[in-house]
Parts: sequence; C-alpha cells; structure tokens
Amino acid sequence: MLLLIIFAGCNDILEDVEPPTSVSGELVLTTEDGVNALRSRLYSIMRANSGFTTQYMVAPSAFTDETRARTGATRYVNLNVAVGTSGTAHLSAAGSVYGLINVANHMISGVEDGVVPAEVLNRYKGEAYVLRAFAMHTLVRAWGYEPGNYGQGPESNWDKGIIIRTEPTLDVADADNRPRSSVEEAYAQIIQDLEQARTLLAGYNDNNTYVTEAFAVGLLARVHLYAGNWAEAASLAQEAINISGRTLETSESGVAGMFFETQGGHPEALFKIVVDPNTEPIAGSNVNEGLAAFTSSQWVSQVPTQKVLDLYNEGDYRREHWYQPCFNSQQGTPVGGCEDVNEPGVSTNKWNGDKGNLADDIPYMRVAELYLIWAEAAAKAANSPSAGAEPLQALKDARNAGSIPSEALANIDAFEDEILNERIRELIVEGHRFWDLKRLGRDIRHPDGSIKMFADSYRILAPIGASARAVNPLLEENPVYN
Amino acid sequence: MTKRILYLLFASLFPVTIWAQGSITGTITDAQTGETIPGANVYIPELERGDASDVDGVYNIANIPEGSYTLTVTYVGYSTHEQTVQVGSGQTVVVNIEMQMGAIGLDELVVSGYASVNKRELTGSIASVSSEEIENISLQNTEGLLQGRAAGVTVTSASGNPGGAFRVTIRGNGSVNAATEPLYVVDGVPLSFEGQSTQASSSPLNAINPSDIESIEVLKDAASASIYGAQAAAGVVIITTKRGRAGATQITARAETGVRSLARSVDYVSTPEYLDYLGEARFFNGTSPSIEAGREVYENFFIDYFGTPNNDGVLADYDWQDFIYEEGATQKYNITASGGSESTRFYLGGGFEDTQGTALNSDFTRLNLRSNVDHTVNERFNTSVNINLSRSTQFGVCQGGNYTNCPTSLAMLESRMSFPFLEDGSYNPLTNFGLASNPAVIRDEVDRNVSVLSIISDVKLTYRLTDWLNVSGFAGVDYRNTEDERFDSVIANSGDNGSIFFANRNVFNSTMNAVVNASQTFDGVHNVSGFAGIEYRRVYDEFVSTRGIGLPGQFFKVLGATAEPTIADGSNTEWRQGSYFGTLRYNYDEKYMLTFVARYDGNSRFGADTRWGFFPSFSGAWRISEEDFFDVDVLDELKLRVGYGITGNSRIGNFASRGLFSTAGTYQGSTALSPSQLANVNLGWEEAKELNIGLDYEFLQGRITGAVDVYNKTIDELLFARPLPFDSGFSSITENIGSIRNRGIEFEISSVNINTRDFQWNTRFNISFTENEILELPNGEDVNPTSTTEALKIGKPIGLIQVPRWAGVNPADGRPMWYNAEGHITYNPEQAVDGIEYKDGRENITGGFGNTLSYKGFTLDAFFQYSFGQWAFASTDYYFTRTPDFYSTMSAEVRDRWRQPGDQTYYPRAITVGGDFPETADYRTQMGTQAIYNASYIRLKNVMLSYNLPASVTQRIGLADVRLFASAINLLTWTAWPWYDPEVAFDTRDIYTNVTTASYPTERQINAGIEIRF
Repeated sequence: MLLLIIFAGCNDILEDVEPPTSVSGELVLTTEDGVNALRSRLYSIMRANSGFTTQYMVAPSAFTDETRARTGATRYVNLNVAVGTSGTAHLSAAGSVYGLINVANHMISGVEDGVVPAEVLNRYKGEAYVLRAFAMHTLVRAWGYEPGNYGQGPESNWDKGIIIRTEPTLDVADADNRPRSSVEEAYAQIIQDLEQARTLLAGYNDNNTYVTEAFAVGLLARVHLYAGNWAEAASLAQEAINISGRTLETSESGVAGMFFETQGGHPEALFKIVVDPNTEPIAGSNVNEGLAAFTSSQWVSQVPTQKVLDLYNEGDYRREHWYQPCFNSQQGTPVGGCEDVNEPGVSTNKWNGDKGNLADDIPYMRVAELYLIWAEAAAKAANSPSAGAEPLQALKDARNAGSIPSEALANIDAFEDEILNERIRELIVEGHRFWDLKRLGRDIRHPDGSIKMFADSYRILAPIGASARAVNPLLEENPVYN
Repeated sequence: MTKRILYLLFASLFPVTIWAQGSITGTITDAQTGETIPGANVYIPELERGDASDVDGVYNIANIPEGSYTLTVTYVGYSTHEQTVQVGSGQTVVVNIEMQMGAIGLDELVVSGYASVNKRELTGSIASVSSEEIENISLQNTEGLLQGRAAGVTVTSASGNPGGAFRVTIRGNGSVNAATEPLYVVDGVPLSFEGQSTQASSSPLNAINPSDIESIEVLKDAASASIYGAQAAAGVVIITTKRGRAGATQITARAETGVRSLARSVDYVSTPEYLDYLGEARFFNGTSPSIEAGREVYENFFIDYFGTPNNDGVLADYDWQDFIYEEGATQKYNITASGGSESTRFYLGGGFEDTQGTALNSDFTRLNLRSNVDHTVNERFNTSVNINLSRSTQFGVCQGGNYTNCPTSLAMLESRMSFPFLEDGSYNPLTNFGLASNPAVIRDEVDRNVSVLSIISDVKLTYRLTDWLNVSGFAGVDYRNTEDERFDSVIANSGDNGSIFFANRNVFNSTMNAVVNASQTFDGVHNVSGFAGIEYRRVYDEFVSTRGIGLPGQFFKVLGATAEPTIADGSNTEWRQGSYFGTLRYNYDEKYMLTFVARYDGNSRFGADTRWGFFPSFSGAWRISEEDFFDVDVLDELKLRVGYGITGNSRIGNFASRGLFSTAGTYQGSTALSPSQLANVNLGWEEAKELNIGLDYEFLQGRITGAVDVYNKTIDELLFARPLPFDSGFSSITENIGSIRNRGIEFEISSVNINTRDFQWNTRFNISFTENEILELPNGEDVNPTSTTEALKIGKPIGLIQVPRWAGVNPADGRPMWYNAEGHITYNPEQAVDGIEYKDGRENITGGFGNTLSYKGFTLDAFFQYSFGQWAFASTDYYFTRTPDFYSTMSAEVRDRWRQPGDQTYYPRAITVGGDFPETADYRTQMGTQAIYNASYIRLKNVMLSYNLPASVTQRIGLADVRLFASAINLLTWTAWPWYDPEVAFDTRDIYTNVTTASYPTERQINAGIEIRF
C-alpha cells in the first residue's frame, strides 16, 4: 500500500524528462518563439536540401545541353549521359519537397490564433502558401506532364500528378496512404495557394530575403506559363515586375556584379535565401555539396558547354562577366579538363562562393525571368512574335546583347527558339533548361545537337521508385518504369 | 522517495534489545593430511560476518546472539564446507572443521542480484568466475577477463589498445537497433555506458581494478536475469569486489612488469618485389614492351614520387609495420590490506598501472583506490560503504576506419618506398599521403589525451527486524568525468595552423533502492524466502566541446593559445526508471525448489501508453540425487533446473517515443525548429522470452563438477523504423516490430584430476553452441536484402555475408572470374543479382579450456580460448593491400600470381590498378567469396608460471608468503585468418561482426612479477 502511494507520484518523475534540443509539437505551435522558429524552418529546410539548392539549380542544366562534366570531374556526370535505360539519373526531390510542404502545412493550419499577432501570422501563412505552392510545382513538373500535354509520352492520356497534402502530419494516423491526384488538381491547388498568398503578403516587397508578394505573383506567372495560360502568364509577369519595385540591371558593372554578394547581391531577385557561410551550409556542406562547389570551385564539375558560349553576341555583358577560367579557389590552383567542354576552358561564376566557405545566397526568381515569361507568353497569347518583342528587347538591351535577330520574328516557332536561347543566355544553372524543353515538348539534345532523349520518351518523367511504392501501394508508378 | 520509505520503515521499529552474546571457535584442518589450514574463510551468512583462520588454523567469531546459524568455510582448492551450528545464550561453541580437497562445487554462494543464493538452491542459469581464476591475469578490464571463461558469454576485442573496449554478448545477438551489451552491476551499482571518449577506445569498466574483484557472475537466462526487468534482456554481469573479514590484518603487495607487442604481423612484399610486380603489370597491359622496361618506368616514377632516403636513387624498403607497432612496456603495482575487528571489517586496495600499447604512443594508466568497509552497529544494524575511485588516462590513436591519419590503417596504406624522416632529421613530406599523414608526424605531432575520473560508490544499511526478516536501504552512484583532448600541431594540421579540440563529458548515474528480505523454515522442511523492493535510477549525461585553431608555433597546447574558436558545442540527455521487484523462493527439504521472480519497471523512454512493463519469471529445480530411489555412488549431486521468464531491453533511445520538433539549422541568425519525429505512445522495450533447461552435476566427491544448459530465447518487439509514405513529411516511425531467436547449448565441466599433497592437476572446459535466426521484420520484408554485409533476412542469422562466388583466375589470360546467378562464369558480377548467401559473422562455437598444475611451490596455469564459425571481410586489407592502386603495401598474396598462360593461381595477373583488366570488374573493389575469410581461432589466452617460496624461507625473512610469477597473454594463436586479428568486432555494439576496418589488433603481453603477503 505504502509503495503504491509512493509510486503514484513516480509517473511524474518518469514523464518529467525533456530532450535537450527538441520540444513537443504543442510547444512549438502555441508559443511565439515556437512559431518564429517554425517560420525559420521554411527557409532553412530549403537551404539544407539539395532538391532546392544545388540539384534544383544545376541539375536541369547538366541533364540537358547547358553543362557537361569537365574531364576528371564526376559530380552529376550521370545526368550528362544517357545510354540505354541505365546509368541515368532523373530530377526529382520528392523527399525534400514533402518535408517543406509539411512544415508549411504546420504554419498554415497548425498555429493557433492569438499566439502571434494576426498581421504577423498572416504574413507567415502567406510565405507558407507560396513555398507550399513552389514545392508542389517543383514536384509536379518532375512527376507529371504539363496541363494539356498528357499525350506526350507512351500513354495516350497520362495525367497523373502528385500526392496533395494540405494538412500537417501531427500523428502517425495522419501519415495515411494516398493516391496521386491529377495534374489538373495539383495546378488548381498551386494556383489557389498563390492567389491566397498574394493577398496575405500584399505590400511585403522590400525584403527579398523572405518570400515577397512579387514572388507570389511571379511564381503564379511561371505556373501559368507551364500550364500554357499565356494571357494570364503575360499579365502576371508584368504585374510582378511592377509590384516588385525592382528593375533589370542595365550597366556592365551591374550585370557583372549581380551574382556577387559582395557587390550587387542579387538586386534582381524577388526572393533569395540568405546563406551564412559559417553556420548555414548549403545541402549539408558548401564545400562538398554547395552550388559553387559543383560549378566554379572545389569539384568544378559542371561547366558550360561550347554551345552555350556560342549563343552570345560579341559584347554581351553576360558572356564577358558570368564566365571565368576554371580555377579552384578552395585550393588556389587552376583546374584542368574544362577545355574539353568549352574552348576557352571556363566555368560559370554565377555561384561563386564569394561569401566565403563556398557559400552563396540563392535567388529563386529574378526580374529577368519575368521579362522572358512576359515575352514568350505575350507572343503566344497573340500568336504573334511582335507581341513579345518589347520585353525580350528590353532584356537584351539591359545585357548589351544586340537586337532580336529578324528571323526570330518571322513566326512564332522561330520566336520560341529565340526565347529558349535567351533563357540559356540569361538563366544558365538557375534551374530552367530541362523544364523549358519538357513543357514545350522538345527533345533533349546533347551539346552537339544529337538526341539524348526524345520528347516522347517515358524517361522525360521521373520514376517514383519501388521503395516508395512498397510503402504506399496506392502510389502509381509513371509509365514503363514498372 | 527512497529516503521516505526508509524513514517510514525505520521509524516504526521497536527499540533495540540486548541479548547475551555467544561465540563460535575452532580449528580448520585438511581432512586427508590433518595439517592445519591458515587463511581459510569462515562465514556466517545470517550475520554477514566471519573470520579468517590464523597461522595455526584457528578461527573465532564472537558476539553471536542465541540462535541457529550456518557456518560456511571456504578455501582455495577445497570444497566448501557448510554446517548448521546451534548457539545458546552466552555459549561458546567449538566447531573443528576438516576440509575436503575438491573443485569448487555446488556449495558456494552465488550473487544473483539483490541477494546471494547458495548454488545448491539455484534454479536459473548463472555462470560464475571467481577471483582465483582471474586475479593473475594482466588485463585492464573485466570484460576481457570473461573472455572464454563463461559458457555462452561471447567476448570479442573491439580494439586491442590498452584499456580498449570489448564487445560482449550473452547468448547471442538480441537486438538490431537497441543496445546489445549486458547490464553491468558492481556491488549493486548498475554502470552507465553513456558519455564515453571519442579519442580512444575505452570502457567504463576500466575503473575497476581486476585484482579487487572477488567474483563475476553472469545471469544468463531470463529466470535469473528477470530481477533486473527491462534492463536484463541482454543478460546481466554482476561484479562483486573483495571484502574484509575480522582477524589479523593481511597485507599483500604485488609488483609486475612486462612488455606488449603485436600478437600477429602481416607479410607484405618488399620494394623490389613491388617493382617486379608493376613491371609485369605494364608488360601485360601492353604499356611497356617488356617487364624490365615497365619496372624501370615505375622505378623512375617512384623515385620522383617518394624520393630516396639517402638521395642516392635507391628506393626505400621501409617496414612501417615495425615503425607503427613498437613494443610497449607495462608496469603494475597493487597493494591491499584487509582485516578488522568483529564490528568493523575493511578491505583497502590501491593500484597503479601503466601499460604502453604497440601502436605509436598508445598508452593506458590507472590509479585506483578501493575502500570497502563493513560495520556492525549492533545486533540489528549492519552498514557497509564501498568506494572506488579511479583516474585512468589513455593516449589514444585513431583507429577503425580507412583513414590516412590512423596508424592502424597506415600500417597497410603507407608505402614501403616512403620513409619517415629525411637525412636532416626532419619529417619526410613525400610519404604516400603527404606530410600530415606521415606516421612519424602522427606519432610526434598529434596528441589524443583521454582522462577519466570515475567514482563508483555505494552505501547500504541493513536492519534485522527479527530472525527471519530484515530491511535494507541502498544508495549507489556511478559518476564519470571524461576529458577528451586532441592536439594537432602546426605540422599535423597546417591548414588550420594547428588545432586543439577539447571535450568534457559527465555522467551522473544514481540508483536508490529499499529491499525487505525474509526467510523462514516451517516444520523443518518447508523453507520460504524472498525479498521485495523498490528502486529508482536516473542517468544524466552531458558534454561540452570546443575547438580552436591557429597556434603560435610549437609552444602551447591549450585552447587559450588558439587564435580562433571554431566549435562551441554542448548538450545533455537523461533517462529515469522506477521499479518494483521481488523474489519468492520455496524449497522443500532442499530437494524441490521453486522460484518466482518479478519486476515491474517504468521508464521515461517508453511511450505514454506503455510506461510500465512487467517482467516475471518462474523456475524450479529438482535435486534428483537427494531422492531415495537415486542410488548411484559416484554421483554426489544431480540437479535438474527448468526456468522460463521475460526480460526487456529498455535501451531504445531516450526520446524515441516522443513526438518532437528538433532544432534544424538557422535562418538569418534565427534557430529553426522542425517536425522531426512522430510520437509513438505505444513504443516500448524489446522483449525477450526465454526457456532454459539445465542439469548441474557433481561426482567423485566433488572432483568433477559442471553443468549443461539448453536455452531457447525469442526476442520480440524489436525496434525497427517502419517506413511511412514520404509525402507525410516523415520517412519512418520507430515501432516495436520484428523478432529474433537465439538458441543454444552450453556445457561446463571442471575436474580435479590429481590431488596429492605435492601435486595437483585441475582442468576446466566450457563450450557453447549458439544459433541465431531472424523470425520477423517490418512488413514481413527483408531489410537491405542485397547488402553485402548488412542484410537482414527472415530465416537467416544477423551478420549474413552475401557475395558473388569466386571462380578463380582464368588460366588463359590471368583475369579474375566470378560466377553469376546462373552459375556461369562472369567477369562483371552484379552484387544484387549474383551475390549468394555465403557465410555469416557469428561466432557460433565459443569457449575455453584450461589446466592448472601445481607441484610443491610451483604452479603452471594455461588457459585457451576459442571461437569458431565467424567469417568476415577485412575491408582495409582487402581494398588497399592487394592491388597497387594507392601505392600502399601489397600483401604476400600477390606472390602467387598468374604469370603465363596455363598458370593455375589464386591471384590474377599483375595489374597497375584494380581496373586494369579489360571488360572486367575492378579487382580492387569487386567483392566475391575470395574476399571473405574464416576468423575462427584458438588462442593461448593466458599462461602463467608461479613459484611460492617455501614457508621455511619466508618465515626467516618475516613474511607470510612470497610468490614469483611470469605470465603471458595472447602468447599463441592458431587461425587461418591471414590478416592482423581474427577478433572481428567493429565496436561494442556491432551486431553484424562481419567486417573489420583497420581495427587496433590484439596485443601479446609477457609479464613477470612478485607478490608478497605480510
């Protein structure tokens, strides 16, 4: 009896043990510090995952014709080659995508009212909506075809998208098995999230180190571009430019320094993630996994192809300043093997590690991209190249790139070619090339023009993978991968 | 809480009454010769007191209250004598005792957790190792002492460095993702294994000086271990230290010195042979027109690459193995004093040891003090205090990885063509991996200092309420502070301009309990005894670590002298446990015995809905030899034991059941918290259910004794990560799923073969057979099914090795060949498809045997330990010493290579790199059955020759006893294993034990010393 009385209090003693660097979910979602820490996670999870950093930016170039591994380097070499059906990788970062979505879902529907002031919570929720939409779009373009392109591959109507999750996983019961939604449903959710977000973020445009209203609108433009909603894309792109308060860099020094944090510091970015070189490694290690490590120092693995360099006109600021002789700043030694990829033996210095320790801030959308979206979408909406000439020429002028070649204005297909080339010139290693070719139903080619992957190949879509499907039998594999 | 109980219990007691006191006295003699026996221990368990016989064999125990007592007499080489003595009020009873020679038999007391039990009444399976067996062995810790000495206890060296850790499993691998080491209890204090050094392989048991140990008991089956409930699934090792007895103070001093050297070295080819090999390689791959031309190309290349020691163009042929594994000296001093009065007995021990290891500067020192004091306050009140203080230091070396800065891997990786010093005495910068990896730099410019301060202490109060009932309160503490320091000079770490890492780790592990003990006999034949108790245990560990870089030259080795801090880290964690436990024993006429044990444990680690677990066991024994119908003259004792019980493994991670948000980086200076783990309110312990059937036997008047045990142990509720759909944002949740079964047979026998006055010969032998099988895995699916060494497959043991089958060398062109899954020759096997279930890393037959021969003052003891059935992959040796890819050493294996068409060889033709063969898998990295070696061995673990000076001599110089001795550890090893050490265990928690990676090999030690008793 005595013992029972004594031990009745003992349960408290046993339960009263707390982990040192973890807290319970209730504590996070019901305190101001907790909610602020959750917001930080929206950004730290992006920075910490290759799927939103190095792979996001560099892999779409390596997978197409923008970059190749210099002789002696191995990073992303598997993405460069495509022999038979083996030895190739694909671009999908489903794990990190859903990690971000789950954090965003906690912010959107897990935080109790009154924990932080409503105005603050609305902003945080707006950021979460944008990043959830961004994450979903990152995945839906890898797993599925763009709206309307459902017959592009081996199946006549393959419209499978992604698994949509809009509620936080708070308990193991929430981690239920779900089937893939259609691409249509995914796009609807993405657009709904972004519309919601632009309201919540109205007026937040100055500080581009957090998600801005302009980024929400710009992302909406990008999503509509992918969906082929030309008119919406064109007008949203212009709207984003206007509300961002940002303009194209037009001076030589402005273009030269915009990717250097010690100089321009991404003046064109609507949203960028800030990386502290000492405490915030990119994808685990700036020196081993970071953007600069892959492209301009350390491994100097993926360097621009001759095809890319050949696209620039004489005097284009970008050609003059965005490329440098291959050099390992980490070891202070020149790096050989680049000349096998491009004649001058250069690497791109967009990711240059000038914050120290090979760290770079990471911009997710620049004003320049909006001009390109505007140009492409306006031309296609009007079915006339001249409708898109103005924004394209504005970008070219800013970069000292000459005039639009007259043949590019001859018809809409020629204009699309020119847009794609301008996107290479402007957006190399910023995460676009493969997705551009895919959404336009173009074949993937090697730098020499030979076919790497036909547009109707099943390998245009990413495989879901056997291990994920073993856990979730409702998850359907993409065609042929089975 | 415990204090409160004690207070309540004590407050309710009657005032103390004084009885008239009696005493027991007598003389102890040898039954055969009639000679008196000095130094025999006489003990009354009921009073927890006793005496040692003096030089005339006389003992005297005074102040005995009226009553009936058991008198127990023990002496080395004699059977334990036990008899009941009735003492009247104020009466002096004379009991003269004749001791029978014999092996240690069923009469000894066995410590079984919270109480001692006479071995005769034991119903479970407990292996005992006594001080006589271990006190002469020069090992640093208890785990090493157990190796080969207790059937069913498998001990494997995880690192040969002095003070290094051992992997200990009792009755097989019982877990995949929770801890597998047993619970260690020292004089009632459970030890903590948290918060250990990262700079050297080490063990918390290093704190205990083996010469202070009285006995080690291993609770093997669930019936005996379930008294420790949720901590006992991997077995329990109980260490009991020596105590003083009333009588003249005995002082023993012991000094010992010796040398340590590498137990086995590996044969590597010389530089000329290396060049010949490469010449051939160039010739065969077509890059040179002849062997000679190819050789010359390489010779010139290497002269340029490594330089030459005398700048004379002659490449070095340097034996790095000799440089890295130098002989080390060892010295060891112990002094003990024990004795005391009727009311206060003491054992004091002090020791110092300094043992240098072989690898570079590795070293272990220990200074320890032990004080065990028992005090009888009055007839009712007994107290005891045990204090063990120890400070040990280790100079560690990097080990256990294919690192270019670890001496153990550099012994393989460094080239014989390089050399440590230039002519001017400076470090050679042109060693294989550059200046910072020059073994001489690692020896002289890197310090890895570990110092451990350990306090293991307990206090116990026992109060006798009546003849048959007592209560006791116990408080024990195990505190350990570990300081890790790593210094890299400017030469060793030029990138940072020198660096210093410092970590301070503390573990506070406290245990408190209160126990009520009762024993009563009814009608002379029904004996009922037992105890019930409650306990609280808390383990808290914390660390702080810092690192600074940039040292001003060679002057300083402190953090304060560094220019820039680079690490400031620290954290803490804890767990708590509350328990009720009890044992109920019944025996009828010492013929039929029944034991019921139960423990109810609540643990902070368990899920909210499974906070408490119940761990019962039942066991019974039948002493067949006591039956009337049993009439076999030679057989003195035959006891059948059957037991079944449940134990748990609570070492599942301190917060594994919680739903957590964890710190996950920062953004713009603000710390981020991320959902990191889903709650599992049902997460609990892993649960072992074990059936044990045993037979104890003793025949020929105790000259042959032993036991046979058969067990079947199923461990269910194994922790596994159950994969979740990744779109949930979580990859998995930890759940209790999965099951393993361990089955085995253990056999122990010891005998007194010859026993005359001048010559004695004793033999002991034990063997155990174990079988391990995975019964259940998450979702019924194999885990890592195609993995080479870490596959978990239902129906197979843990540690399965899967590799493609080796098909030999093609006699036509010297290419390596394997078999594919269809049984056809392939040059490019694919692990996932062509790998076969080949062998496993389980030591399934282990044991030891020994002989002790004594002739007059001489004693020769030889103990062998063996292990069979384990196969393993020696990764460093395999990847780096069979091909010249990294210009590292090449093992003698390459001498038997293919040289011309028609050659039937084991090794293919010479190659410049592993990928040299056209259209063929890389020979350096391609695994196959040829890469897996048998790690079975028999080892002469310990051999000792000692000589006791005749009494006539010692008495003349006024000493009680003088003994001279010489001993050797790991003197000889018989094995087919071609690499350094067949003891394969990556670390103390390695469950696969099928890969070794540049581990610190076991060392041989030869010692000599003297022991004097005053």
